[in-house]
Amino acid sequence: MYLKSLNPASSVLKKDEQKPPINTQQTAKMDKHKIIYNKKAESEFFVDNSALAGFTGERILYMAVRELIENALDSCELFSILPSIKISLKTFDQSNDLWVLDCEDNGTGISSDKLPVAVCSFLTSAKYMEKQQRGLFGVGLKMVAAFSTKDTDFPIKVWSKSMEESDEYYYELRTDIGTNKPIVLLKKQVNKSESHIDGPSGFRIRVVLRARLVPITKNKIYDYVTQTSIVNPYAFITFETDDGMFSFDRRTSIMPTPAKEILPHPSDMDLQTLKKAISKHSGQKITLPKILCYSFQKLSYEKAKEIISNSDLDFDLKDTKISFSEHDLIKIVNICKKTKFQNPNTDHLSPIGQGILTIGMMSEYTIVSNKNIETTSSDNNKRDAMMVNEAKKLNHDKEDKNFSKTETSNIGASKPNFSVRVLQPVLTAYTSRTGIINNRPTIIETGLAYGGDINSFKLYRFANKIPLLYDEGSDVAREVVSEVEINKLGITKKQAKEQFSTNKESKRDRVIEVLPIHIFFHICSTKIPYKTAGKESIASEGELKSYMKSCLSELYRKLSTQIRKELKLKEAENKMKLYKHYLPFIVGAITDSLGIKNSNLDDSFSSLIEKHLTKKPPTGVGDDDNVVNNSEPPHSGFVPKSSLSLSNKAVDLEKKKKLTISKNFKDIGDKSIKNTELNKTLSNSSSNSNASFVVSDKPKEKERRHKNDKKIKNSKKN
Amino acid sequence: MSSEKKNEVILIIKKIMKKISEDVVIQKQMPILDLPKIGYDNTVWSNEKRMLTIGDKKIEVSPDSVKKIPTFAQYLVMANAVKKLLDEDMESTIRGMYYATLSNVGDEKNKQKFWNNQDNSDDAIKAVELLTGIPREEFSVTSKPKGMISGPIKLRVGGDIIDCNLGSRSTSQLIPTNIGDVQIEDVKADFVMVVEKDTVLSNIRKSGFIQKYNAILMTGSGEPDRATRIMVKKLNESWNKPVVVFADADPWGLGIALRYKIGSESLSYDSDRLVTPNAQVLGMMFSDIYEYNIPEVARLTATDEDINRANDMKKKPWLQDKKWQKELNLFLNKKEKCELDAFFKHGFKYLAETYLPQKLRQIGLI
Repeated sequence: MYLKSLNPASSVLKKDEQKPPINTQQTAKMDKHKIIYNKKAESEFFVDNSALAGFTGERILYMAVRELIENALDSCELFSILPSIKISLKTFDQSNDLWVLDCEDNGTGISSDKLPVAVCSFLTSAKYMEKQQRGLFGVGLKMVAAFSTKDTDFPIKVWSKSMEESDEYYYELRTDIGTNKPIVLLKKQVNKSESHIDGPSGFRIRVVLRARLVPITKNKIYDYVTQTSIVNPYAFITFETDDGMFSFDRRTSIMPTPAKEILPHPSDMDLQTLKKAISKHSGQKITLPKILCYSFQKLSYEKAKEIISNSDLDFDLKDTKISFSEHDLIKIVNICKKTKFQNPNTDHLSPIGQGILTIGMMSEYTIVSNKNIETTSSDNNKRDAMMVNEAKKLNHDKEDKNFSKTETSNIGASKPNFSVRVLQPVLTAYTSRTGIINNRPTIIETGLAYGGDINSFKLYRFANKIPLLYDEGSDVAREVVSEVEINKLGITKKQAKEQFSTNKESKRDRVIEVLPIHIFFHICSTKIPYKTAGKESIASEGELKSYMKSCLSELYRKLSTQIRKELKLKEAENKMKLYKHYLPFIVGAITDSLGIKNSNLDDSFSSLIEKHLTKKPPTGVGDDDNVVNNSEPPHSGFVPKSSLSLSNKAVDLEKKKKLTISKNFKDIGDKSIKNTELNKTLSNSSSNSNASFVVSDKPKEKERRHKNDKKIKNSKKN
Repeated sequence: MSSEKKNEVILIIKKIMKKISEDVVIQKQMPILDLPKIGYDNTVWSNEKRMLTIGDKKIEVSPDSVKKIPTFAQYLVMANAVKKLLDEDMESTIRGMYYATLSNVGDEKNKQKFWNNQDNSDDAIKAVELLTGIPREEFSVTSKPKGMISGPIKLRVGGDIIDCNLGSRSTSQLIPTNIGDVQIEDVKADFVMVVEKDTVLSNIRKSGFIQKYNAILMTGSGEPDRATRIMVKKLNESWNKPVVVFADADPWGLGIALRYKIGSESLSYDSDRLVTPNAQVLGMMFSDIYEYNIPEVARLTATDEDINRANDMKKKPWLQDKKWQKELNLFLNKKEKCELDAFFKHGFKYLAETYLPQKLRQIGLI
């Protein structure tokens, strides 16, 4: 392989060498045919090929917000700092499409000497290692800086207070795109009085960018922040835009275990990694087997010796001063490819975890807009319009109540109203799998939130905690959702359509989409099988799809008890409703036959029947309640022990009340029966699938909701 | 139909409606419609009457449960429709009533049909019969005529005389279903012979059986409708004509023959009007298959359903005499059944000119 790749290259070179003697006399022609080899600065390359990093026309602001938030989160998680991120994106100069983007975090900060390079020089990163992180390449932040430099004449303003230096520094920077070097316009130490960073450490950047913000991109930015908040419920995020201030509360103080850097796995070995390993240990007097054993995981000294002896190398194993040729080393690589090793460990991965994802799902902070709903209703065809109207009605009901108790200044504003709503589902479930995909250990986490404030279907996709917002249609998660049969939920397609669909005429092919479910897929790996360079959809690589399907099936099974219960209630309710429709027939027949109109008949009849029907409820719900309330405390029955203790620690006091103190004993009672059964089955379930089931009670009091609903304050005073 | 009868029905319906209205508005209590239960579990064999009669079981239909509200509404709507029909002095088939009352119930989200199918509305018509105590023919709700009659009998339908003897070699008359308007004017025949199917009837008629034996030929074309049964009963009881019944030699055919003689479970409440206990079921006996040498090719193998039915029949009080027990045992042994048409294998005239006369001679009818 090595030789093959060399050959064509050398032949090209030869051709070039032969050219000059042939054309010596015709210098002009020679110049024309001469191929000039230039080295391009990394910065210039990335600016020219910005699409490689996702920075394309309309997506510039989206990508910039995304990169800054991801850097902020990575920086905090590295040292388990609870993230507080303040990000702001506002119009700066409307006529020139200028925006000012400001992001402040309380992470580790960057030490003053490294800062200019870290901000401006491409391919400079502290993250080049084998572990799960959001950013990997040292491109994102630099791209933001380069775009600012390229499109505007404003400096990039940076404040940083790093962990090692306790002083805050202020920089004004620009990128020298031609050389990939920072231009420091200003550097100064900031006095405490002028400090821009409150905490012990942190990083703040303010850039001016030139970009158009189309509504679709704006929604994507909002979605991005929303979804980031769901999988990072331990982060406090404020997001200020021209639409106002959105605030995403911290719902837990527990953070996922940070990913650890690990050694590469021997089955992933190639010439390059091997050479790197050897050169790293070159000064030390250690033998080759030792080097292998130190440089790769799951490789004991014995095994290393065995591999080397299998590769027919002719030298003394104890010699520490051998220089190896590539031809020797490739033999080792080849043997490693054929040898079976233990599965790689997953210390370098940092899944969200059951506790944290559950907290995120139980109170989903979501940016909602009224206008959004209205425009979609006019754009969509009639069939969908009905559904949307239904949703609109629902929203209005809730919004109206908000208005009455919160500020009224926004009523009547022609601008769309955006606000943060906290969606609290009736039930959440979580399950995960670990497997090897793309040669790398991969953790697949799935979650499901059902009912309550959730009134429609939505699929959430995350890769290494980064929300994937584009290309949902081609993502493997889409296929998984289509392929897992709905009957795992314990109901038939027909029942789902009839009882849960807001619009019976809707001809959506995927029945699951009529249910009020949010499904979450999170894939952690150091090598996510992305479908495209844009990194927005995941391909169905290896067993990934089957793992995801088995996860989703398990979630469906967990939901089935709840769904079936609701189905029964709905059916009973519908039957109850029916009498109302039969009453006119009865009354009509009587008045028609008698030829006399008795105006009392209708009223008397309906009150009589209603009295009668409510006296005898269709199900024995009442009895069940008593049994449960007497025998068990309201919540211990339905939260598995592990996650209960978790949430005690995790949820700060006020939230804890909200989540666990039962205001509605009736609801909880019903759930707890089912969930105790479920816990039993869960404890029996296999150890590799780690699963849990949490039911939150939906606070009935409106007050609570108002508190959580953050209304927009219009930032512009006039 | 007489206007008195008509007014009587209207009055009863109004009374029922008034009672419900008063219950609700004045008494503030759940209205209840009391009906005898219809079905096998409320059908009683009466030794004295020698027919199936209705038992004591009652059902109460009241809008007090989600399940019963639709039924209650259906009964009232049907009763009102009957009243309207009479008000307009019209006649309708049961299918007509189904269409007249067809509608949807509910809103967009919970839509359902007022009737799932015609069986529902037929049941509601039965309920109106039971509530008013008046058979539906008397309030002008009829079914499609399917019974046929041929022979020396004159019927008066409305103002017209129908002479069923006319052309009785080549055609039969449909038995009108609006029996309220039908009277038997004159009967010249010596006896009445009922056969299961119209195909067999045509064959017998064509052979000149009617003229030769001075008989009335009738068929219910399978399961007989009420008009046919009533006609048979009238001929037997009002005109003293002996009635003989021939059906296929299988449990199903025997069942049909017994409809005339003992009645049916679904109409047990109306047996007094429909059943002819004196009718004699003469054939086709299971033993006839072998006595008349029906070739094997014309015999049919009994199905499991047939066997179950025969086992069931063996236990029935009205089939306890030795002759029937022997016949049923024979069937259960041989597991073979046979249609009357199988006699055509012996020649087209064999049934009418050999088998039937022999059977009738055995009981001394000819």
